[in-house]
Order: sequence, then C-alpha cells, then structure tokens
Amino acid sequence: MTPMEQVLGRGPGSHGRAPEPAAVQTYGLTKRYGKVIALNDCTITVPEGRISALIGPNGAGKTTLLRLLAGLARPTAGEAVVNGGSPRQDPAFLADIGFLAQEIPLYRRLTAEDHIQAGAHLNPRWDAASVRERLASLNIPANRAVGKLSGGQRAQVALALTLAKRPRLLLLDEPVAALDPLARRNFLGLLADAVAAGGLTVLLSSHLVADLERVSDHLIMLASSRVQLCGDIDDLLAEHRILVGPRKDITGLQRSHRVVQATRTPRQTTLFVRLSGPGAPVVDPAFQASEVSLEELVLAYMGQDAPPALANVTAIGEEK
Amino acid sequence: MTWLVWRQHRIQFLLGAALLAAFAILIVITGVQVANQYRAAQAACALHQGCLHVGGLFMGSHVVGFLVISTLAAPVLVGLFWGAPLVAAEAEAGTTQFAWMQSVTRKRWLTVKIGWMLLAAAIWGGVISALVTWWQSPNNAEQLDQFNPGRFDLMYLVPVAYSLFAMALGIAAGAVLRRVLPAMAVTLAGFIAVRALVALLLRPHYMTAVTAYYKVTSGFTPPGAFWQIASGIVGPNGQPIPQPNNMPYIDGVPQNALPASCAPLANGPGRPAGSCAQALAHIRGFLTYQPADRFWAFQGIETGIFLLLTAALIAVTAMLLLRRDA
Repeated sequence: MTPMEQVLGRGPGSHGRAPEPAAVQTYGLTKRYGKVIALNDCTITVPEGRISALIGPNGAGKTTLLRLLAGLARPTAGEAVVNGGSPRQDPAFLADIGFLAQEIPLYRRLTAEDHIQAGAHLNPRWDAASVRERLASLNIPANRAVGKLSGGQRAQVALALTLAKRPRLLLLDEPVAALDPLARRNFLGLLADAVAAGGLTVLLSSHLVADLERVSDHLIMLASSRVQLCGDIDDLLAEHRILVGPRKDITGLQRSHRVVQATRTPRQTTLFVRLSGPGAPVVDPAFQASEVSLEELVLAYMGQDAPPALANVTAIGEEK
Repeated sequence: MTWLVWRQHRIQFLLGAALLAAFAILIVITGVQVANQYRAAQAACALHQGCLHVGGLFMGSHVVGFLVISTLAAPVLVGLFWGAPLVAAEAEAGTTQFAWMQSVTRKRWLTVKIGWMLLAAAIWGGVISALVTWWQSPNNAEQLDQFNPGRFDLMYLVPVAYSLFAMALGIAAGAVLRRVLPAMAVTLAGFIAVRALVALLLRPHYMTAVTAYYKVTSGFTPPGAFWQIASGIVGPNGQPIPQPNNMPYIDGVPQNALPASCAPLANGPGRPAGSCAQALAHIRGFLTYQPADRFWAFQGIETGIFLLLTAALIAVTAMLLLRRDA
C-alpha cells in the first residue's frame, strides 16, 4: 500500500465509507534524538471536527508527535500534513494551531491579564472576553502573577488562553493532568461544546482512558515509539475480542487473527486478538469470544499485564 | 511583540534607566566642579604669565575618578543581566513554548527581542560614554592621555560597541547553553578575554607604529595625545641597549654600554672626548608610538571590530534558534 492508502484505508473498519477530511495526516513520521528514537515511522490520521485521543505509556512518543505537528520540532524522516500544509514558521499556519505543552508554559511573573493582552498583540483572532469570562467563572484572579496561582488554576489559565486563539486544530498534551476530577469533567465538557460548535479539531493526549472515552471517538495509540492503533474507537472495539478456551495449541488461530496478548494458566488460555475484520468469525469453536472495553484494548496494547514469560506471544509493537 | 518585550523586561529597563540617571547626576555635578577648577587654574596661570601646564594636577574627586575608571566594566553589565537571561531564562522556564505558539514566527520574536535589547545596550553605552567623555575633557586637555589603554576604552565611540558586543555575547551564550547562570559566567569570561586580547594584541597594530630616533641628550616628545608603545636607546647597529637602574649614566647612556674612556665622566661633569665622544654620538634614543592624529581612526577600527563580533554572535543566535527544535 502507498502511504496515502495506508492512511485513508484505516483498517477494515472503514470499508465502504467515504474518506473523511483529515486535519492531520502523517506519513512515516520519525524523530530521533541522537541514538534514541522518540517516534518511529508514525503514520496516522486525525479526522477533522472531532476529538481524537492520543494514548500511550510514558515515553511512548506522544509529546514528540504533538510537538512535530505543532512545528516546535522537526522530523528526522517522514512528513506531516497539518491543516493542509506542513508545519512551518508562518503566521497563518501558527494562527490555526493551538498547542498546550504539558509543562503549562506561562510567564510566572506576569498575570493572567498580561497574558490575555500579550495574546491580543500576537494573534489575528483573539477572544479575550472568553478568557476573562472563564477565569471569572472559576474564581481565578486575573491580576495575580500566575506563578502564585495553584497548579490547577495555572492549567485553567493556560487552557483558556490556548482556546482564545481560536485555532482550527488544538493539540493538548496531558491538559487535564493538573486538574481535579470535577474541573477535568468541566473542561472536557467545554472542549466537546467547542468542537460541536464547529471548525475545531482536537488531539488530546492523556493516560486517563475514562476521561478520553467520554469525549473522543477516535483513538491513536502509541507504544514503544510506534503506532499501535489508529482508528475510530467503535471500529477498533469491533475488531478485537477476548477469547477464553482450553490450554491448547493456538497456531491455527494465529493464522487467521493476530494474537495481541496471551495469558495461560494450567487449565485455560486467554487470548486478546485482533480479528481479521470487524465481527469476523472466530475460527476455533473451542474458544469463547467476548467483546472488549476501551480500557482492556488500551491495556492489551500497552502490554502492562503481559507476564514476561509470554513476551514471544504478546508481540507488542509489531504492526504488520 | 514589542508589547510583550516591554512587559517582560520593563523592570530591567527601568532599573537600567535609574542607574543611568543616578550616574548622570553624579557626573554632571562633579563635572561642573572639575570644569570650574580647570578654568580657575588656567586663569591663575595666565596671571603668572605663560605657565603652559596646570601642572599634572588631578582634577575631580578621587572617588568619582575611580567611578569613572570603573565604567570600563559597564558594558559587561548589560550582557550579564539583560543579554544572558534573554533566551536562557525563557528556555529554562519553558515559556518559549508559549511565545512560539502564538501567531508570531520565531524569526520575528527573535528580531524584535534582540532589536530592543541592542538598542538598550547602545543607549546604555552611549550615555555612559558621553558623560565620561565630557567629565574627562579637562583632564584630556591637560594630561593628554586619552589615547592610552584604559582611557581610550572609556570614551567616545568604543563603549557603545563594547556594550553591543556584551549584549550579543550574553544573548548568544544564553541561546547556546539555555541556562541563565552558566550563560552569565560565559558572558563575563568571554567579555574580559575578548576585550583583553583586542586591547593588548590587536590594537597596537591597527596602523604601523611610528618610530622616531633622537639624540639621547635632547629628548623627544611628539605633539598632542600620542600613544607611546615602546621607548629606549639603541646602539650604532640599532641593537637595543638595556637601561638598568643600578648603573651610572653618562649623557643618558648606561656606563657599561660605553668604552672605558668614558669612565671619568661617571664621577663628575666634563666633556666627552675621543673614543668616548664617538661612541656617544652613535647611540640614539627611540620612541615607538601612535601619533595623536590617529585617535579617531583607532576609535573607528576598534568600534568596527566589536560591531562585527556583535553581528557574528547575533547570526549564531539566530541560526541556533531558527534551526533547532524548541
């Protein structure tokens, strides 16, 4: 398959569906820092007008991917197309991208109001009123140096500033990590409203599957610097099954489905498999198939519950 | 961008302006006193008819004099406290990621920031130099030492170029190291090293020095504020003759450089004769110097060198920040 086909044909789940406009497409995007590969051959699509979740364990390359898309870093190889062009130093490109780094970069000695005014001087579209309103509704003082605010308040200020830019693509790196559960829910609701209002695409990284499940319907999963999954969550769930059966040889099963993870006890075998297609029949009647949850899907690909003895079977990181 | 630069750095700018104002007040008040003292001394000389020199009199208070000399260090202050943190502090705090994700290219961000900082450095160097030059002018007229190392560096154009260089050095060090304290250390060391190298090794050779030979007994002083580079006496073949202190001198020549026939003259007056007179006739004094009328050429060349260094450092900074990942 050509890169383009790989991107557009997002696995068997998209058969018969018209290609959806994409806010982001990458082809074999790779970033090395010296000998360390932070992101390896990453080919993904982020559909326009939706909230996509970027999931992966620490060090999987999530931040690297977001920084490459924002143009803060340059790829070692491969290409990214963001809002129809490659990330570049151009006011028009930058105006359409909102990026909030995990470290919540704000000038600690300046106040939120200073940041609002700076934004007004630095951006063609700037919704200062929305930030002031939001800070007022959260009781965050706009005239105190942001270094003196709590971590959660700082995150709220930074998020409001990122939204005030009115970007077409919003890249958020662990934006809710600093927020308490109520603020997190509140913020995700705000994001969902903004996307529903139109003209906005969000790519959101997080560890918190439950939060992402609530707002996003598209999933990109990275592990070990590689893309493990990229697709609509419903399609991905339909393509995976947990099979429980007797302890027996599974080579027949492996021929038609990909075994993502296998757990064996003396009496039974539990397999996490990717089917040959969504809802495809399980070829071995000895196994009982059950549907998977998003959490199970994510954990299976993170390989967190794989016993080391089965490393040869778990085959994490081999997307073929 | 200008708004943000001002908002970020206004405390530094105001502090710098306050320091300049305090220095200006001190210099103007004492400078007027120096000028009055000079005029009074000149008038006194006129009464005594034709005393050409006010007599090496040091004009102005020693405390202020010391302060004026210490403005040699003024340029490096802008490099240390404004230049070094300019990029490094933002890199340390991660705020480049805020600035660079607004709808402003890094190039513009850098251009505006560096532009204002260089302007501030030029004003800093220019105001200090103007004040010092004015304060020193009676001393210059009297002592004619403005071409000498240590004085040349205080006045006219060069302090402006030093300030620009220090600023650019601080910015570049901050961009390379991305940490404020190491950048400040490199700025301080680099500034001192480059200034010393240029002043000691390059400056004497901007133009080929003039060497004048003269009769030892008559002496020689070039006109105006010349810069003496070397002096001494040479023998008939141009070989230098050492001038030790513990040695009797005959007509300005150490006795051990002369034939034995000169020995009687070491103990008392008399006219050299015969071989002694012949030997003395072949020994000349020399003075290697940069004439006073080259002062402005030297100011211009030194200014040019430091402006080129400034441009190179800014180019390095721009290349680093525009090419490197944030």
